[in-house]
Amino acid sequence: MPKNTEGQDIVSIQNVIKEYHLDKVVVPALRGVSLSVEAGDFLSIVGPSGSGKTTLLNLIGCVDVATSGTVLIDGHDTKSLNDRQLTDLRLNTLGFIFQSFNLVPVLSVFQNVEFPLLLQRKFTKEERAKRVDELLEKVGLDKHTQHRPSELSGGQRQRVAIARALVTRPKIVLADEPTANLDSVTGENIIDLMKEMNRVEKTTFIFSTHDAKVMSHANSVIRLADGKITDGKGAKAGAH
Amino acid sequence: MSWFLLLLQTSFRNIFSSFLNLVIGLIILVGTFFFVVGGSLVDSIDKGMSRSIIGSVAGNCQVYEASSQDSPAVFESWQIPDLDPIPDFSKIKGPLMSDPNVSAVVPEGINTAIVVYGNTIDQVLEKLRKAVSPGTRQPKAVVDSLKAHVRQMVSVIQTDMGKVNQIAASGSFDPQAGEDLKKASSNEFWGSFDSDPFNHLEFLENKIAYLIPDSDQIFLSYVGTDLDAYQRAFDRMEIVDGQMVPPGHRGMLLSKYDYEEMFKLKSAHRLDQIHEALTEKNKKIAKDPDLQDLVKQNKLQTREIVLQLDPLSSQKAVSILQGTLNSKETDLSKLLSAFFDTDDSNFESRYKVFYDQLASLVELYRLKPGEMLTIKAYTKSGSVDAVNVKIYGTFQFKGLEKSGLAGSESLMDLMSFRDLYGYVTPDKIAETKALEKTAGVSFVSRDQAEADLFGGSSDVEQSQQKAINDKAEMGGGAKVKRVDLTQRVYTQDEIEKGVAMGAAILLKDPSQLKATMKRLQAICDKDNLGLKVIDWQKAAGNLGQFVLALKIILYFATFIIFVVALVIINNAVVMATLQRVREIGTMRAIGAPKSFVLGMVLTETVVLGLVFGALGSALGSGFVMLLNHSGIPAANEFLYFFFSGPRLYPGLSLGSLIGAFIVVLIVTCVSALYPATMATKVSPIEAMASDE
Repeated sequence: MPKNTEGQDIVSIQNVIKEYHLDKVVVPALRGVSLSVEAGDFLSIVGPSGSGKTTLLNLIGCVDVATSGTVLIDGHDTKSLNDRQLTDLRLNTLGFIFQSFNLVPVLSVFQNVEFPLLLQRKFTKEERAKRVDELLEKVGLDKHTQHRPSELSGGQRQRVAIARALVTRPKIVLADEPTANLDSVTGENIIDLMKEMNRVEKTTFIFSTHDAKVMSHANSVIRLADGKITDGKGAKAGAH
Repeated sequence: MSWFLLLLQTSFRNIFSSFLNLVIGLIILVGTFFFVVGGSLVDSIDKGMSRSIIGSVAGNCQVYEASSQDSPAVFESWQIPDLDPIPDFSKIKGPLMSDPNVSAVVPEGINTAIVVYGNTIDQVLEKLRKAVSPGTRQPKAVVDSLKAHVRQMVSVIQTDMGKVNQIAASGSFDPQAGEDLKKASSNEFWGSFDSDPFNHLEFLENKIAYLIPDSDQIFLSYVGTDLDAYQRAFDRMEIVDGQMVPPGHRGMLLSKYDYEEMFKLKSAHRLDQIHEALTEKNKKIAKDPDLQDLVKQNKLQTREIVLQLDPLSSQKAVSILQGTLNSKETDLSKLLSAFFDTDDSNFESRYKVFYDQLASLVELYRLKPGEMLTIKAYTKSGSVDAVNVKIYGTFQFKGLEKSGLAGSESLMDLMSFRDLYGYVTPDKIAETKALEKTAGVSFVSRDQAEADLFGGSSDVEQSQQKAINDKAEMGGGAKVKRVDLTQRVYTQDEIEKGVAMGAAILLKDPSQLKATMKRLQAICDKDNLGLKVIDWQKAAGNLGQFVLALKIILYFATFIIFVVALVIINNAVVMATLQRVREIGTMRAIGAPKSFVLGMVLTETVVLGLVFGALGSALGSGFVMLLNHSGIPAANEFLYFFFSGPRLYPGLSLGSLIGAFIVVLIVTCVSALYPATMATKVSPIEAMASDE
């Protein structure tokens, strides 16, 4: 059960249905999901492949919109926003950590982390450098700022990705199977790091996984199967 | 903007990230290379040609009578433009010279003359006549030698006639001519020669000379001008043979190129051509059909030499040839054929023998400085006028020695030109106008003239004989006048106060051409001079448009290259973008707006283009420098003119560098536009897709 101080819902999802159209076949990915996430939560979404984990994260991450139902992110109804507004929401309110790290290969560690700040266009060079250096120190990469992603190990790359996700001080960080491409020890370390950030920065973390060990670190867990929540706060919410 | 800097940095780093980029880069590199090299070459040819045109006849600009139907075309001597005359050159010189940038105003007029020249037998007979005439009498040995020479010519022509007779249908040959030849070759004729030389000479002149027609019509294009002013204004002009026409005198300077081409012994000229091709152009007779053709012509056409040699010289020539060829042959013609039958191994030694030993026996040039030339030209009214002009020498333009174009015009004093052009004074113009009014009379007379010239006979030889007779008449008729005129010295005033067909204007600062032309036109309009000012390019006629044509070809070729490049680059960028869908999706997910993605693809392609474009430009520049160092040889006389010398040393043109930059910018922008828009449509969901 979440034991966070804020207690405010930062994500609120109501009766969301998401269908994909493959040629003329309609493939349901989410079949009526309701869910609310309190600010500061460290939430894990679990379920087998094809259960709708990624779809749910995409909807929360504002990279996709629901077929029906409402998705409120930090009070914004994503259905009413245009591409530009969704982009701004992603830039300023959300942070992303990807399964395959997704760093820009030609940019250095420092530049990868700085990238979202540059897009925000509201900080001076010095301010940006200060933030980036601080974060890189926190993720333990202050010695590697000028390295290219290809010169780093998988764990190191994911640390860079975490730093990149946090650099704008977003309210929510979404992580899609952040440990799937890492060995168990490294994966553990990454989760510890995320937990640490969650504790220190009060950032809400929502991550998907099918690793029971990783799951055990979560404050709350939601289980998905066949596009429906089978257990967790969603189930509770659905019971309302 | 810092994110733009990031874009640039990303772009630079992305250049070598993909094989496709390398393909794009190479296309741009090759394109810019050709653009820079081609552009520099065209610009250099432009400069070279302008030097040639401005420096030889045209000047920086030209003025001509505004009422003229055509405009001047100083290099199109094959078609004389229809220009109205400027009645008094002295009245326009002053106003034009008043412009501070004008350094010289040179009166000019271009015309083509017909010169009927040659007939070796005429010349030998004239020598013989002199040798037996009181006052110019020569020793008996000389007379005998000349007699023998004539006799030899008669026998040559008899052999030729015999051959013609065998080929031609019977009856085509005038039996009377055969009788005459028989008589001229008989011992009785020559035995009685000394007792009555003049009657014999008359027979030879009237009945025999026309049977040996080795004369030909030469079309001689010339510029009538104030020779002194011309020499001062066109400082590339230099005298090669003879001397400059003395100030104020009538006279003519032949272009060295024409002189070699038209007045030199044909066999010798052909040897020169072969010699030059072998020594300067590294050609081989064995490989070059043109050279083989020259050798063949020399082998076949030995008569010009044979006719020139009297028996004594013939004997000398035979022994020289026998020695050289190690032959026992006694027939000169056959020996010459064998001598001229050259290949790459023996040409140079034969060439040396020809000039060291044989040349002294023959007249290398059928006209020498100091001799008179009868020039016939069509006047503006269409009739033919003739003037005897003394040839003082030959000239050429420094650096343009080998160019037939620059050497296409000889120079004539303005007085003779005016006589030939049919405009002497304003009075004469009035007279002509009055004549034109009484058109009935003049038409009839013109018709008759034409009938006389062309209608009467269809026999070539007869008309040729007529031409010779005409020449003789004119020469005789003008004899008294000729002496007067060649000695007469004209004042500058007399030269300038009269008709000119136009004037070349030379500028102190040629770069101010456009502005100066504007001022000059203003002066002409203000003073009612009735003149039109055109630049050298226009004055050169079609030739001046050559560079324009070159430029169009270059730009068209570049256009095609870059259109192809556009299509290929477009495809390549599309493919490169597809390869980067994950990266682009990630950027979009993280919060990059579509405009950023659009800018990214565009910037990357443009940066790629500029980097390889710069590389291509650098390579192109290097290549141009290399060419500048070694020079591009002018393979033929046209190129010689365009290059303004034997080699073109192209300079790098700033214009083509800037042009290459702009073209690359446009091509990359346009070709990246579609893939860039495509990239903006990449969904951020792509970032979420797992590797599997």
